[in-house]
Amino acid sequence: MLKLISANLKERPTRTIVSVLAVALGVALVLISVGLANGQLTEHAMRLQRIGADLLLQPPNSSHILAISSAALDERLLTLAQEVEGVADVSPVLVMTDRFKQIFGMERQFVEFSPNMEFVQGRMFQAPYETVVDTIYAENNHVALGQMHELLAHEFRIVGIYKAGTAVRVMIPLETAQELNGSPGKCSVFFIRAAADVPLETLESRLMERFKGFTIMRSAELQEIWIENTPAVKPFMMAITSIAVVVSFLVILLSMYSTITERTREIGILRSLGASKGYIVQLILKESLLICLIGVVVGFALNVVGLYLVGRAFPTLPVDTPFWWRVGAPVMAVLGGTVGSIYPAIKAARLDPVKALGYE
Amino acid sequence: MSKKLDIVKKQELLKVEDLHMVYRSGKLESTALRGVSFRVKAGEFVAIMGPSGCGKSTLLHILGGLLRPTSGEVLIDGFDMAQARDGERTKVRRDKIGFVFQRFNLLPTLTARDNIELASRLHNNHFDIAKANEMLRMLGLKDKMHHKPSELSGGEQQRVAIARALINRPVLLLADEPTGNLDSGNSRMVLEMLKNLNQEYKQTILMITHDHEAAASAGRILEMRDGKLLSRVQNLFYAMEQKLL
Repeated sequence: MLKLISANLKERPTRTIVSVLAVALGVALVLISVGLANGQLTEHAMRLQRIGADLLLQPPNSSHILAISSAALDERLLTLAQEVEGVADVSPVLVMTDRFKQIFGMERQFVEFSPNMEFVQGRMFQAPYETVVDTIYAENNHVALGQMHELLAHEFRIVGIYKAGTAVRVMIPLETAQELNGSPGKCSVFFIRAAADVPLETLESRLMERFKGFTIMRSAELQEIWIENTPAVKPFMMAITSIAVVVSFLVILLSMYSTITERTREIGILRSLGASKGYIVQLILKESLLICLIGVVVGFALNVVGLYLVGRAFPTLPVDTPFWWRVGAPVMAVLGGTVGSIYPAIKAARLDPVKALGYE
Repeated sequence: MSKKLDIVKKQELLKVEDLHMVYRSGKLESTALRGVSFRVKAGEFVAIMGPSGCGKSTLLHILGGLLRPTSGEVLIDGFDMAQARDGERTKVRRDKIGFVFQRFNLLPTLTARDNIELASRLHNNHFDIAKANEMLRMLGLKDKMHHKPSELSGGEQQRVAIARALINRPVLLLADEPTGNLDSGNSRMVLEMLKNLNQEYKQTILMITHDHEAAASAGRILEMRDGKLLSRVQNLFYAMEQKLL
């Protein structure tokens, strides 16, 4: 049967290539899109983890992902947090967004709080309208030390460029952020570092006791929490996957449906040789399966090429395709294609062998 | 195979009794067979002759299990094809019947040898390469075994089709106008081949044709008109030949 299938695929190269490419594009689309979306989230979460905090404290019902500007946490609670036994340090942050760019309003002392904060040029801000940016932001936005740069509709002087990989890409003084946000004395999150001798569970319990109803997250779990809670990411990934599955389904359905018409006579010949209806169904299903499997291989190759091109165009763009998506994308494509071939396969098996033999 | 009947005489390979076939398309009815009855013994070479539209092809398709008759009985090697379900008829076709068609009906994407291999694998999922090569050699196709049908002449294609039909040693070979698409030289060669198969290997053959010359190769000729068998003619020349052999 395999010989017959491969002969059929070779006999109609255009149809085979188009079908394979459609499946391949679906697979590559899923892998690249998910890789980029997940890469952004993962990288963002990792940068927050690298701040060096053990726990994050947020006001009740606040966004898990610190993506939207919220200033519901009273700065005076800082003292309460610092008083909790086992807390080594607390750093308040006001999260703001400016044209899809996340900006942290934070205290100058953040440099001492975060051991990974390393300046490659300049220093931490000292005046209200000073800002520090990371190396990637500086490179992407073509800004240099000492330059004025517009943030939140105000001019800021870049006084420091720090090594990318910690917190966000842009930081401004907390007071300035509060003023621009119209929320003096408020912030979005407290980054909390535990004392070396205190187990995290203990500190977590104590904080929960003190701040009843507040959200307390472990820094180590940020990545998972982000992927679970980032709005639209899961639906986006599902939408992309669904498109790929539907494309596979439709292309294979169309391809196999047209092949049945083209090969009506061949099906009649097979039936006259004693091929059962089951054999005909198997033949069509296996052919579509082979197309899908080749499509998956080509899809992975396209993914590699696509990511290489993305990497060349946007060198700082993080890509991280989770293992399960690497497995899931091809499985879904193959599944879509196979389901798409069921109807043509049944139709082929039901062909009247006498009419099929007489088909021109 | 529960329908195997003990009453069938051992040497009687095919029994057709009062076979009717009516095609229905909406309210329209068209009668193709009107009470056809005949028998074929094992080792016989029977030709059914008749003009186009007389019901020959319908009869052959029913005998091959590709069609189910409206009524009547068709026993092949004791198995009632007329009452069998599609799956059972398919099995009988695969195991007991070989088809040779006017249009050769080789799979165009496969080589000569692959066409034969496919029939063999459909039969018992086994392919005896040596046997296939030997068969192709006997049919003068040794150098053509890796050629696709489009690279073969009509005569060569028909010889491959005969090899394909015989690879599973069918009890009955059904030939549907096997020389209809061939020139006179190739026609003679194919008919000679069928005759040899019958005489040397006792292969039972039922051939339908509208060509008198082709029918003359058979041992017995049945004539068909308007869905009925008219006469049963003993081919005297064939009988004499058999005596001499």
